[in-house]
Amino acid sequence: MRIDREAQWHILLGGALLLSLLPIAFAIANSFKELSEAYNNVFSLIPEHPTIGNYLLVFSRLPLGQITANTFMVALAATVFKTVTSALAAYAFVYFDFRGKNVLYFILISTIFIPFTVTMIPNYLTISQLGFRNNIIGVILPQLSDATGIFLIRQAMRTIPRSLIEAARIEQAGHLKILASIVLPLIRPAVVSTGIMFFINSWNEYVWPVLILKDKVNYTLPLALQLFISSEGGTDFTIAMAVSVITMIIPLVLYLIFQRYIISTFTSSGVKG
Amino acid sequence: MSGNALLAYGFILPSLLVFAVFMFYPLLYTVYLSFFEWNMIKPVKAFVGWGNYIALLQDPLTYVVLKNTFAYIVILLLLNCAAPYILAFILSFVIRRGRDFYKSAFFLPSVISLVVGSILYLWILNPISGPVAIIAKFFGITIPVWSKTQGLVIGVLSIITTWKVFGYNFIVLFGGITGVPQEVIEAAKIDNVPLHRIFLDIVLPMSSATGVYIFIMTIVQGLQYVFTPIKVVTQGGPDNASSNAIYNVYQEGFTLYHTGYASAFAIVTMVLFVVLLLAEFKYVEKGIYYEN
Repeated sequence: MRIDREAQWHILLGGALLLSLLPIAFAIANSFKELSEAYNNVFSLIPEHPTIGNYLLVFSRLPLGQITANTFMVALAATVFKTVTSALAAYAFVYFDFRGKNVLYFILISTIFIPFTVTMIPNYLTISQLGFRNNIIGVILPQLSDATGIFLIRQAMRTIPRSLIEAARIEQAGHLKILASIVLPLIRPAVVSTGIMFFINSWNEYVWPVLILKDKVNYTLPLALQLFISSEGGTDFTIAMAVSVITMIIPLVLYLIFQRYIISTFTSSGVKG
Repeated sequence: MSGNALLAYGFILPSLLVFAVFMFYPLLYTVYLSFFEWNMIKPVKAFVGWGNYIALLQDPLTYVVLKNTFAYIVILLLLNCAAPYILAFILSFVIRRGRDFYKSAFFLPSVISLVVGSILYLWILNPISGPVAIIAKFFGITIPVWSKTQGLVIGVLSIITTWKVFGYNFIVLFGGITGVPQEVIEAAKIDNVPLHRIFLDIVLPMSSATGVYIFIMTIVQGLQYVFTPIKVVTQGGPDNASSNAIYNVYQEGFTLYHTGYASAFAIVTMVLFVVLLLAEFKYVEKGIYYEN
């Protein structure tokens, strides 16, 4: 049998895709299995005797409702603040001319390349002095603005014709009003996908919360999940899979809903000018 | 253009404030701390001049960590820069159907926590009961205890990181490659230029601005991403064989409380990054092709 070239490529791509997506399917499937079934039949993607026992057990062992609420609060606060501060800054960089504009933009954007190790010790001290250690406010504070956000929203704003803004200025519209009622609606897909990515990244954030949060009631989901890791993979891995599913379900659903926006925003974020 | 400078600064101020407090001030303060011996608790910091930097140069662990960091960089560049570049090329110019589907599907793991990734792979690659071990056993192969095997451990932790980062890099590179005109590729195909030559001689140079960006991000961000699997899976072990320049700063700073030493190490890491970036820019600047 001859297979045409296009089909050969699809087999290759499909294989690669399977490698990256199967782990997720396995996690979901095994989180609904009893431990004995999971050991005897790891590969089946449909549990023979589906059970939510693992989920119930997790909720009895950990204040998981509180932990999920913490994660949500942190992600929501980071998303709102980052989106607002990024949009404001991006607007200034696109529609104002002022001394030092390019230098300032360059400095802000270069912070993308600064490793977190260079700032984490002083930031830990700052948060401690403010009394926000072991508190989700301490997790939120450094996440109030974002260089990548400024970059992405600026890229989108640059596609709006300047004449549109100038016309609104002639009509005596204030800059905040122009930003809110003309600019943001025009670049909605970019703003929405940037916001969704803020939310997802903050939801998944591990390094900073692990330094700041000490008690389980204050944990975020990735920290709770970490409790189920033992170097050998653990004896009760069906429970670990249940916590994994709880941790990834919100980002996955958000992605599935907004994937068109997200893909197109990041596709057009290639370095241009 | 309309508007005055004061108003512009007002728009930037909220961001600037956050950056000042949590980025620029800490950067300078870390430089300051690197000249002191301290443990974050003692009321007095002891000034030691270049002492931490000298100690760092004399510590054999530094060279182990730098060697590991280099190994991570090489593996990450292959898996997270070269591989997604080739994939983006195949999707853009080689195949005709299913482009949007592949884009969405390959990006998907990028939205999942690396702690989830770590725990999934710990189980999948579990040497005794994991799915891979079961398949391997069928063929009479045993899986080594990779998390405790020097050399192997860096590879596996890099793969875990790749699982998350690959999709994002792929999408951005795909965007860069779409800047290459389709007609140029079609013309080359008609002339029977082999695919790998089209990739190396046409696509790579014509998308190099995005390529350089992903190259740099793979190194700078990649090493930071690897931190999570290192922290949750091996804690740098066995015998520091999986520690890198980022993890080592955490280890020194937050488990051993060598605050000054950790700060010095962080600064050295950043300087190495900057040197690397400048070298990279100098090297590629001449041949770079800006899409617009």
